[in-house]
Amino acid sequence: MTTATAPAVDSEQTERTAPPRGRSASEVGRPGFAWAAPAAVFFGLFAIVPLALVVVLSFAGWDGLGPPRFVGLDNWKKLLDDPVMLESLWLSVLLTGLGVLVQTPIALLLGVWAAGHQRNRAVLSAVYFVPLLLSVTAVSVLWRAVLDPNFGVPSQARWLFGDGNLLGTQAGAIGVLAFVGAWQFTPLHTLIYQGAARAIPKVLYQAAEIDGAGRYRRFFHITLPQLRNSIITSTILMVVGGLTTFDTVLILTQGGPGTDTTISAYYMYQKAFKSFDFGAGAAVALLLVLVATVISLVLVRLSGYDRMRSTMEGL
Amino acid sequence: MKQRVRFPRAAVTGGVALAMVLSLSACGGGSDDAAGRADEIHVLVYGDATNKVEKQLVETFNKTSKVKAVLDTIPGADYQAKLQTVINSKQAPDVFFNWGGGSIKPFVDAGLLMPLDDFIAKDPGLKSNFLPSVFNTAEVDGKAYGVPMRGTQPVMLFHNKKVLREAGVSAPKTWDELLAAVKTLKAKGVTPIALGGGDKWPTQMWFQYVYDRVAGPELFRKALSGDKSAWESADSKKALGMIKELVDAGAFGTNYDSVKFTDGGSPALLATGKAAFELMGSWEYATQQDAHPDFAASDLGYGTFPTVAGGKGDPANLAGNTNNFYSVLKRTKHPEAVAEFLKLQYSDEFVKAQLGVGNLPTTTNTPDFLDTSANPAYSKYQYDLVAKAPAFQLSWDQAYPPAATTTIHTAVQQFFNGQIDADGFIASMQSLPAA
Repeated sequence: MTTATAPAVDSEQTERTAPPRGRSASEVGRPGFAWAAPAAVFFGLFAIVPLALVVVLSFAGWDGLGPPRFVGLDNWKKLLDDPVMLESLWLSVLLTGLGVLVQTPIALLLGVWAAGHQRNRAVLSAVYFVPLLLSVTAVSVLWRAVLDPNFGVPSQARWLFGDGNLLGTQAGAIGVLAFVGAWQFTPLHTLIYQGAARAIPKVLYQAAEIDGAGRYRRFFHITLPQLRNSIITSTILMVVGGLTTFDTVLILTQGGPGTDTTISAYYMYQKAFKSFDFGAGAAVALLLVLVATVISLVLVRLSGYDRMRSTMEGL
Repeated sequence: MKQRVRFPRAAVTGGVALAMVLSLSACGGGSDDAAGRADEIHVLVYGDATNKVEKQLVETFNKTSKVKAVLDTIPGADYQAKLQTVINSKQAPDVFFNWGGGSIKPFVDAGLLMPLDDFIAKDPGLKSNFLPSVFNTAEVDGKAYGVPMRGTQPVMLFHNKKVLREAGVSAPKTWDELLAAVKTLKAKGVTPIALGGGDKWPTQMWFQYVYDRVAGPELFRKALSGDKSAWESADSKKALGMIKELVDAGAFGTNYDSVKFTDGGSPALLATGKAAFELMGSWEYATQQDAHPDFAASDLGYGTFPTVAGGKGDPANLAGNTNNFYSVLKRTKHPEAVAEFLKLQYSDEFVKAQLGVGNLPTTTNTPDFLDTSANPAYSKYQYDLVAKAPAFQLSWDQAYPPAATTTIHTAVQQFFNGQIDADGFIASMQSLPAA
């Protein structure tokens, strides 16, 4: 019996009785578990085990000196009554949201523009890429110096910055954090969009042009829909990156003024490594894991990332 | 199933990476490296330029001692965190650098440190050769736990002589003179006082001095010992009122929280004449010499914190970093060798070497060598201040255990920028654990 000549064989049967020539995809070169073992062991050792330890630690009081002491739900109770904790979650979400809102349009436009093959665009794209090559720490230190109220740019542009107290007010400090994050990470997303925009089949544009579609219509009706999957990818990267932001806060604001930019990741660091209250730090970490999980879940559901369709349908 | 595969990636990278960072520190000391330690003592110090001196002293010690000393250093910023993880492990040092006060209190509570009373009984010089106001800092519950081992760093009010001259103001001796100077300088378009509010601890310096001048050192001692009522006393409220008055008078300008000392921001304000005063530790001098040598040589003036009329604190009281200390772990196998090593910390060689790198030691024999320091006038002035100070208040964030630092820093910053009022500040300080 061959599948080619059997007119109405149900697919399950085909799989089971398939002869060598018509093997189903699942059997072709499918690696066994052994192939996944190194990655699985690595992930288990450096992600799952520590996570489990952190769960345990969040129910303990530990200052790193004696053995950890079991304290039940104390850390959690304190955390939920802690106004700084709630504020920090809100700030994390706010900064992440700002990051997405600021970076997506810029990266999208730059990326689509950079997708053109003109030489000047290629040169400028390379220049735009530079911030991504610098370390986050170096970038933060750099911007701190540039934004110094007395000797930096604000001292020369009073009409724009007033007294230059950018890092001394909540709005200013959050603005600076969002700006520095955008300056550094927009290039990455530009790159994603550039690659995706280049992959859009030319025929679509040619057909649209024949139909008399102008530049804007082509952008909104061809480019944007074709970039749908890239937008989702880039947004998820931004959200994950945003929720785990830490270094820019450490260097630029140290959570200040007061606790006005104490985002959860920084709060965790403060608790664990400044106050040596590792139990409380672990609880903050877990709460952040929880929130990040929920946000990712929602994002995956809403965006349809889980059933991502090809944008090549009909071509 | 795609859904199952995708989801953990997004979420888990977000969360777990963080969780990892945390728990990694948990797996610290495990393996035993007792091999070769039989006749060694390990000395752990904060890694910076002064290590030169510590190295020299270890070499001197090793020339005569059968038990050899080994110097281990940890780069500055990581010191406290690394110490915390290593001190109760088998790699713990025998002797280690610390800031006295709150920095060793948790170790004393955990029963890790050796009181030095026996050493002092055998060699009274281990105590009597040091200035008492400094030596006291490393006493916990009435017992000595540390021997001073570097230089003292009192906080002083620095000024730009040229700016004061041009404004027709003299260095203020009293609080009222300071307020008047602030008014005059402001009218001239100069920021009266440079403040690196972004670092938070420079802001704290103002609280330390005003509290000490108004209420004397007792108020803070009471508060530190757990008597929370000290913070709501009339003196405490008066001190806060005075600070508020100074801030509201525009003494620090408006953008001080965007300025830092550590990145050279506030020292530059003073050196360029954009500001007239800066309250800072004695290291200000070295900082200015380094960054603005001409200014340091000609126009950098220094003096004590102004007196407060009717205040209970002695005008000669100081605040700041009294010194750094060597403390000893209980489990050391060579207490005699450690005692010998500690004796070197008041030797002539120690004093000369410390002065050579710009530190001001707090031993009683220091005056004999002050002429050899890089800047004898400045060194003598400081030494006299410390020697004559009836009380030398250790910086608040070091007097309390590390757990309190964030709360203190947040409170002083928020009080300055008006996010909390006096009651809010008092409540914050009352939330601190007793030291």
